[in-house]
Amino acid sequence: MIATQEVAEMDLSTGFTAEELRRRRVASRRLAWLLGGVAVAIYVLGFIVYRS
Amino acid sequence: MSTAPSIEHDTSHGQHADEHYRGGIMYWLTTTNHKDIGTMYMTFALIMFFIGGAMILAVRAELFQPGLQLMQPEFFNQLIGVHALVMIFAALMPAATGFANWQIPLMIGAPDMALPRINNWGFWLLPPAAILLTLPFILALFGIGDGAVNTGWTLYAPLSVQGGMGVDFAIFSIHILGISSILGSINIIVTIFNLRAPGMTMMKLPLFAWGWLITAFLLIATIPVLAGAVTMLLTDRHFGTSFFNAAGGGDPILFQHLFWFFGHPEVYILLLPIWGLIPHVVSTFSRKPIYGYKAQVYSFIAIGLLSVVVWAHHFFTAGLPVAALLYFMYSTMLISLPLAVLFFCWIATMWRGAMSFETPMLFAQGFIVLFGLAGLTGLVLADVAADAQYHHSYFVVAHFHYALFAGGIMGVMTGVYYWLPKWTGHMFSETLGKWHFWLTVISFNLTFMPQFFLGLAGMPRRIPDYALQFVEFNAISTVGAFILGFSQLIFAYNIWKCVKGGKKATAKVWEGTDGLEWDLSSPPPHHSWEVQPVIK
Amino acid sequence: MKILRRFRLWVGVFFTGLLAVVIPSLARADYSWNFPTPVTPIARDTLEIHNHFMIVITVLFVVVFGIMIYSMFKHRKSTGHQPATFTGPTGTIQWVWALVPFAILLFIDYVLMGIPAYHAVIDMEDTRTKADMVLKVTGMQWKWQYEYPDSGIKYLSTMSTPRDQIANKETKGEHYLLEVDNEVVLPVGKKVRVLLTSTDVIHTWWVPQFGVKRDAIPGFLRETWVKIEQPGIYRGQCAELCGKDHGFMPVVVRAVPEAEYLAWVDEKKTQLAAAAAGADKSWSRDELMAAGKDVYEKQCAVCHQPEGQGLAPVFPALAGSKIVTGPLLSPEGKLLKDSHVDRVLNGKEGTAMQAFKTTLTDSELAAVITFERNSFGNNKGDLIQPAQIKSLR
Repeated sequence: MIATQEVAEMDLSTGFTAEELRRRRVASRRLAWLLGGVAVAIYVLGFIVYRS
Repeated sequence: MSTAPSIEHDTSHGQHADEHYRGGIMYWLTTTNHKDIGTMYMTFALIMFFIGGAMILAVRAELFQPGLQLMQPEFFNQLIGVHALVMIFAALMPAATGFANWQIPLMIGAPDMALPRINNWGFWLLPPAAILLTLPFILALFGIGDGAVNTGWTLYAPLSVQGGMGVDFAIFSIHILGISSILGSINIIVTIFNLRAPGMTMMKLPLFAWGWLITAFLLIATIPVLAGAVTMLLTDRHFGTSFFNAAGGGDPILFQHLFWFFGHPEVYILLLPIWGLIPHVVSTFSRKPIYGYKAQVYSFIAIGLLSVVVWAHHFFTAGLPVAALLYFMYSTMLISLPLAVLFFCWIATMWRGAMSFETPMLFAQGFIVLFGLAGLTGLVLADVAADAQYHHSYFVVAHFHYALFAGGIMGVMTGVYYWLPKWTGHMFSETLGKWHFWLTVISFNLTFMPQFFLGLAGMPRRIPDYALQFVEFNAISTVGAFILGFSQLIFAYNIWKCVKGGKKATAKVWEGTDGLEWDLSSPPPHHSWEVQPVIK
Repeated sequence: MKILRRFRLWVGVFFTGLLAVVIPSLARADYSWNFPTPVTPIARDTLEIHNHFMIVITVLFVVVFGIMIYSMFKHRKSTGHQPATFTGPTGTIQWVWALVPFAILLFIDYVLMGIPAYHAVIDMEDTRTKADMVLKVTGMQWKWQYEYPDSGIKYLSTMSTPRDQIANKETKGEHYLLEVDNEVVLPVGKKVRVLLTSTDVIHTWWVPQFGVKRDAIPGFLRETWVKIEQPGIYRGQCAELCGKDHGFMPVVVRAVPEAEYLAWVDEKKTQLAAAAAGADKSWSRDELMAAGKDVYEKQCAVCHQPEGQGLAPVFPALAGSKIVTGPLLSPEGKLLKDSHVDRVLNGKEGTAMQAFKTTLTDSELAAVITFERNSFGNNKGDLIQPAQIKSLR
């Protein structure tokens, strides 16, 4: 069955561990800086690129 | 509560897991909880929806009869432009972001958004931006300046170079709104990529999250272009540059290219979250799983990609080269394919289900039919030859209101009615909801159907007064607009009542629901998923 | 609940009443549900394409939503329909059913619509082949200037609807807002190449019955063409928001048989020559004031207002204005920078004040300058002659 999520069971031990969460948070920050950088780069590029 | 650390508790902002809602302005200013921020986004959007609506009712009142009765053209021009900016940037976009904040963590099994403080910032940039946008109206009352931006929301140079300080206010407002949108988008992308519950692969991601993911990428790609364009406008206005001034080697059409490079994807930015939530609603009330999940995901991606390569169809009359006309016409037509896939899947989801027609389902089906009309008229508008007649006329006004009111606003209403019991823990009044739906649908068509005929008969948009052959349709349209506007008070009242109390909602809320958010209580606990569910 | 039921009744009565009022007024035979009658080949093409489209999309709408509405009646819980569980096409037949609509759509897009659209676009953009004459249209806030390069005719065309009609102080005329002082005159049956530009912001020249709409862009030349097939008067208006009086810059074209057109050209030439000759004679103060009042009302009153009081804060007052009551010319008779004469002749960059030397004749300029210096309580007592203006150009 596609597109539906079924919770297998609420197994309390399967949540993100502190370690796992920290890893994911670092990954999130890194990606966020990258995306922000892309946005700024697009903005700045507009002023530099000229039509020939 | 203490076994799994929630992501927002890590650092120094002084909140502890057990320190929940305290109330007061400082709480709301500093909250990093995705549900609180979602609520603020939705409330802000609702308030701005009424402000933008009041503006356009004044416009429609002026257009009720030919001649100038209520206002002078200068003020008329300010109202139409600010109406559009408010509705797009301060009502529809925040509403969509509000949904994302509330729903994405619930739907993907995350404890919160990945970047809670950026989330807080994203919201609190909005009120100052909205104030900047509308402040010139108030300043003008005191004799300062010449009122708000009067160029229409498109800000076409050189009209906007010539305009008064309202244009500067709008430029700064757009910058701030843009930063807010980019922060929100970054947060949504990283949350979806990093905080999905174990076992939830990308191809099991709920469609709503998929729609928003594409929206977020589109925002990051196009908002900087808009920001660049309005910055160039600012320097043209005050620092003697000539980006858009032919006398200095610039080109006014460059502004249109830049604006619509953002402006066309913007349409899909507003609509993709809606297209994401509609299948959930249709599936719930048809008691049948979503049809064509993969096809819809690929369609979202295809629409996202196509949306950045079709922009020039917004100015076919500006005198583009023939090759460009043909390219933009044929590429625009291509969008009809993925869109048709979506329509096909929505209807196939209903097919052979067991439908019931609660308020959210009514709005979803109303959305599908009326948005269908927007799609079909859009197909026609793609034709360069016929577009010469439609362009800049009321035909276009009617078309994009079918897309953005019936498609955007009614889609938001679908989502609000669908998830409101989950958010508040109470059921809303089904009777009031049905009243709201029928009044909205009837008066919406009464308002905008005549505008198609006005456009065909040759009435240009953005005129404060019109020739006598347009009298009847304008009168009808105004009557419809007033009914439409006042019907929305039912919506606000229904939400208010639902927040205050009402029949208790169960966790599942609706009989046919399917998805993670319905496993949490209604309302969900302060920290959404302390423990991650596992998706098999 | 009872109140609600009564309310529902009133809403029903209201909508029925509304329909009762609306339908007869719409059923009037002259009411327009479609494009106005086309009078050029392009407009005919466009109308035909549009009519085809409307049929195609109506059929699509009815079929697609017919299926949906059928399903809404057939597959409902209240009739005990049991939901199916399929999530995609299974088996060849279903795949065919799922793909056929898209094949049809592709056909509609690129064959049914795409091919006629291709020919129409090529035709529309071919402004040069066999063009018989050129008309140059210049948009400016808020009027049009028409120029016939072949015969050297050039004049302004402004809306002639009285402001009192707009302010609802007078009954509105038949062609309310769609009437001008000098209409464009074009011969029927000739291919006219229309060149467009603008002096300030972007305007759009649109006559619905010609099927032609093209932007007039400052600093650039755009082009389109018309070949009017029937004599008549055709009305349109500016279609791109261009500031305050965007709604008040109509386009009126009078199409006449060629002989009549040639006669008009001769007459117009004589008229313009007479006006130019006026520049060489010496005008009396009263003549200048009378002519100036005329020009002022047509060209200046829109912004600076009939009594010269201006429209704060964008359009400055002329009454008591420092610039207007400043010196006329330098003692040597030269143009003073930022003086009254300089403003009127050369305009002011970045504002709606345009360079009127490009659009008004010497006598009109002299008259309006003299008028402004001696009206609205301004009492300079001086005057300027058309000949002086000529030397300042």
